[in-house]
Amino acid sequence: MKKRKKINGVRVGIGAAAICSFLCLWAFATREGTTLGILMPGPVEVFTHLVETTYTKVGPLTIWGHMFNSLRRVLVGFTIASCCGILLGLAMGWNRTLEAIFRPIFELLRPIPPLAWISLAIVWFGLGEGGKYFIIFVSGFSNVTINVYTGAKSVDPELIGAAKMLGCSERRIFPSIVIRSSVPYIFTGLQIAISSSWAAVVAAEMVRSTNGIGWMITAGQSVGNMEQIMVGIIVIGVIGFLLSTFMRGVESKLCAWSRVQDS
Amino acid sequence: MSKVIECKNISKTFESVNGDFQVIGDISIEADQNEILVLFGPGQCGKTTLLKVIAGLEPATSGTIHINGKEKTKPGPECGLVYQTTALFPWLTTMGNVEYGPKVQGVPKKERRARAQKYIDLVGLTGFEKSYPIQLSGGMRQRVGIARVYCNEPEVMLMDEPFGHLDAQTRYLMQEELERIWQTEKRTIIFVTNNIEEALYLADRVLVMTNCPATIKKEFKIDLPRPRDYTDPEFLRLRQEITSIVDPAE
Amino acid sequence: MKHKTLKHSGNKQWKYLIMSVCSIVTFLLVWEVCTDVLHLTTPTTLPSPVRVFSTFIDKFTNTKPDGATLQVHTLESMKVALSGYFIGVVIGVPLGIAMAWFKPVDYFVTPLFDLLRPVPGIAWLPVMIVLFGIGLLSKAMVIFLSAFIACVINSYSGIKNTKPVHLWVGQTFGASNLQLLFKIAIPTALPMIFTGLKVALGASWNALIAAELLAATKGLGFMINQARGIYRPDVILVGMIAVGITGAILGAVIDALQKVFIKRRR
Repeated sequence: MKKRKKINGVRVGIGAAAICSFLCLWAFATREGTTLGILMPGPVEVFTHLVETTYTKVGPLTIWGHMFNSLRRVLVGFTIASCCGILLGLAMGWNRTLEAIFRPIFELLRPIPPLAWISLAIVWFGLGEGGKYFIIFVSGFSNVTINVYTGAKSVDPELIGAAKMLGCSERRIFPSIVIRSSVPYIFTGLQIAISSSWAAVVAAEMVRSTNGIGWMITAGQSVGNMEQIMVGIIVIGVIGFLLSTFMRGVESKLCAWSRVQDS
Repeated sequence: MSKVIECKNISKTFESVNGDFQVIGDISIEADQNEILVLFGPGQCGKTTLLKVIAGLEPATSGTIHINGKEKTKPGPECGLVYQTTALFPWLTTMGNVEYGPKVQGVPKKERRARAQKYIDLVGLTGFEKSYPIQLSGGMRQRVGIARVYCNEPEVMLMDEPFGHLDAQTRYLMQEELERIWQTEKRTIIFVTNNIEEALYLADRVLVMTNCPATIKKEFKIDLPRPRDYTDPEFLRLRQEITSIVDPAE
Repeated sequence: MKHKTLKHSGNKQWKYLIMSVCSIVTFLLVWEVCTDVLHLTTPTTLPSPVRVFSTFIDKFTNTKPDGATLQVHTLESMKVALSGYFIGVVIGVPLGIAMAWFKPVDYFVTPLFDLLRPVPGIAWLPVMIVLFGIGLLSKAMVIFLSAFIACVINSYSGIKNTKPVHLWVGQTFGASNLQLLFKIAIPTALPMIFTGLKVALGASWNALIAAELLAATKGLGFMINQARGIYRPDVILVGMIAVGITGAILGAVIDALQKVFIKRRR
């Protein structure tokens, strides 16, 4: 089992070159005098603005305030969605009666894209936080449930037999075997859910909000402040990346036992 | 000497929409304390099911099983099963797997750790306590499987072709290892195999089984000194005799 | 020994099927009772299933309150979604394959792709509107990005998961690099590529609805948004159901295509 700790120098080099050429291309395409240059800012303007937003307010808050609000929403919605999804997925995967009862309703609601719920959420919850939490919940819930459900259904029956043979009581089979066995599936669902939840926050904030990164983008659009829009996009990208990386890190720690080694 | 395990008139039929399928005919088996009883037969029919029935993992269609006088109806620690596929818990380390039995039965941590360590040492896996099954070779995993059942200190150990998935070299090694382990800590073992050399190397008695529905064709008492010699003339004569009466595999 | 009744595949299946049907019927009944009978909610918050159903039928012919019938909205949405989707697939799948197969492409494109990936497609809408105006193109671009990202990821994974053994076999037969790609790697990756197509479709459809909420004059997302403004949640629900059904049908089309393309392998 070799852990590849060496950093591939060539890869990093070419990667850096790629990013540099992209930035140069961007700067070139938006230079003084081009049509694109009138419509869109170059990298220099965008990064200057990014730095500015850390100490000047954009609307009601600095960029830190907006980031905090967006993150707060995503984490709350995601946590609720995960808990509910894991519970429902395990229940449906393990108990055939619960599966027969809940799965049809779930399958009926599943094809509706999460963002289609936005209007309904506003009708039900008004323009406050409740509606946003609801959308984020809907975005994450479906993915977590499906993956956990698949996991609970795929428990190897031999393992259950082995546990009983070793003296495990019927009551303890579920926590001791089914849940432990489903952990990799839970994490697959969580990884997808964190990305969808982050996308949902952005969309919800773009539609109806008074703060947050998504709001920053639409606010920028309504006053024609392109730098603000670009800054918003960059921040969204960075935070989205950090969230995914964090989730992958947690998964590799907890699911070390299921990593298929290179043969 | 009273029998450790007595199975009387076991039969097993699987019902399905396509019709009933009788896997086990009428089988009666007994084993003495610390005896290695080998069930030898062709192909795949019936032997694994028989072990699962004895272990209580499958209900018999008819017949009874008594272990040291008590009737056995459910799976439990008195009868341990070493699986052909090992069936180790992938999320537990070697130590975690081996101490699992005592753990779910409430043995306190210190005691069960010591016990598990003893059996990990016994099967020759000292140093691999913290490894996950995915990091171990096939032979090593099977050792964990054996240690796990040993640690539970069952009255009877069942082994379902435990070395079937191993390459020839490792297989010979594991047979010798099992012999050594058994000599150190004697247990009653019912061992299933379709490999004649393995059967004769390990067995005190060999029961030759038929194809589906499985029944016992003939019993052979193996009186050779241990550890057995694969090239001993008597070993070879028995090998010839047994293979000549075995049904061809289906 | 107690006899355990073995599962006759017929018996128990019927029991669960009945439970499922009852479950849906109960759900609808409870909904109906809470709205039309007990009046726990107002028609402007949650309409009854009967009302939703009648509005659904009505919308096939009625252009009020948003200016077009259900079919017109659906077709408009599909037009936008599928244009963005197809371009996303046509560019994304080959790019993903190239990134997984040719190291120089991987080293150059992957860092750029990793920068793009965490940004949800919808976040680009304002940029697209500034560049292309409020029209089909800006929405299609947003959808293109959503579909593109999903296709690249899944095609990349699919090719990367090709078993080295299969490639070695091809090499011993003297196959060239390109032949290995087209004859071994791509066919093995097809299931994952199709998964990518489905995921991309879901992402596109999702992005489309959001885009129409923000910038459209026709389409299902627009219909839903309008209905909210005039307190017609029954139309919202009709819209959501239409979105769901259309998405499901498109997904089923991909499933059928998958069976056609992958049938000959297994």
